[in-house]
Amino acid sequence: MSYDWSVVWRHADLLWEGTKVTIFLAVTTMIIAVPGGIVLALMRLSGIRILAAASATFVEFFRNLPLILVIYTAYYILPVATGLRFSPIATAIVALSLNVSAYNGETFRAGIASIRKGQSEAGYALGMSRTRVMFEIVLPQAVRRVLPVLASTWVSLFKDTSLVSVISVGDLAFESMRVRSQTFRVLEMLTAMAVIYWLLGYPQAKLVDWINKRYRVNE
Amino acid sequence: MSLDFTPLFDSWRFLLGGLGLTLGLSALTIVFSIVLGGALGLARCYGPAWLRWPLVFYIDSMRSIPVLVVLIWTYFALPVVTGVTLPPFWAATLALTAHISAYVAEIIRAGINSVRAGQERAAFALGMSRYRAIRDIILPQALVRMLPALGSILSITIKDTAIAAVIAVPEYMNRSQTVAGQSFHPIEVFIVAMIVYFAILFPVTRAVDMIYARYAYLGRS
Repeated sequence: MSYDWSVVWRHADLLWEGTKVTIFLAVTTMIIAVPGGIVLALMRLSGIRILAAASATFVEFFRNLPLILVIYTAYYILPVATGLRFSPIATAIVALSLNVSAYNGETFRAGIASIRKGQSEAGYALGMSRTRVMFEIVLPQAVRRVLPVLASTWVSLFKDTSLVSVISVGDLAFESMRVRSQTFRVLEMLTAMAVIYWLLGYPQAKLVDWINKRYRVNE
Repeated sequence: MSLDFTPLFDSWRFLLGGLGLTLGLSALTIVFSIVLGGALGLARCYGPAWLRWPLVFYIDSMRSIPVLVVLIWTYFALPVVTGVTLPPFWAATLALTAHISAYVAEIIRAGINSVRAGQERAAFALGMSRYRAIRDIILPQALVRMLPALGSILSITIKDTAIAAVIAVPEYMNRSQTVAGQSFHPIEVFIVAMIVYFAILFPVTRAVDMIYARYAYLGRS
């Protein structure tokens, strides 16, 4: 069996296009899912029963489903349910955002809950409103505790974007597999795909470990 | 929009078989990953120094590559290297175990490191050997602290087995796709798939939370 690694260089442009799509998906999803997570957490902690229940249901539902299933279902349901035509990439962003928002919602909820009650009570004692206490006292402190978890979620998201290749979004996984099926250089292309993901993911994983150490809460 | 669930009733045996495979694949992967991951984690903490950096490299690499990539590489590219083609089910077991055991190893390490150094020193002060200190003092405390993270490995594994559908393991996700394609009722099929996965995963997550809440006090020191 002879290997021909030149196939990887000859298709470097396609791999680069795929890599850009992968990065775009991860960034866009996080831009949607951070505010999404904050909204879910605020709903959960609002004290209004119906909002809290809606948020809890959303979070538990999407945290307990395989992402690949959410992607497939979104692919089939979105056009029928909305009457609009969704491009694969738009479908991918919807599915990823639903999933990551649910995780972020839980992250923010736990982060906010971890701020001791005395902090908000002190705010009230100073005559601050509920909203001001939340935005000026609780959230700034919660962000510090939430940051390491968000960083881990980011790394998971970056890897999970590969799953959207199943609905033909031209990300790194999809492009690599397409070149593989066109050239039959299976080992070369799949190894190149793994190495590119590794090159992108390894520094991120190390950075997350560092953030976790840096922001560790010592009790 | 009207829903028609009859195709699901027609192929319930087919789907139930897939569900069995999902659970079987999950169970095998979990058992293998805990054994292998436990060995890797212990070797990283207590093993010889020369073994440490290859272990860290393996664990961190697995944490940086998508599980989809590991599955596809194991199924399509590994046979090119070894000359042996594994059936999809065993390729999936191998790939998922290689991936999940890295996470288990991380959990083991974090659990062991979370036990304060004073505990080990106290054990030595009482004249215990290193082996006994690890076995009787450190690991019991570490194990309780690992429970929630190890528990989440259960649901992560069950969710990851759905990705094995892409290498044609005829588990529940894959069979749902088949039924969806043949019946032209993908929406109904995938709605039911969501209900099925949720019905498995939600109790698992809840049970893990409850068990941990019950035993958390044992990990305090």
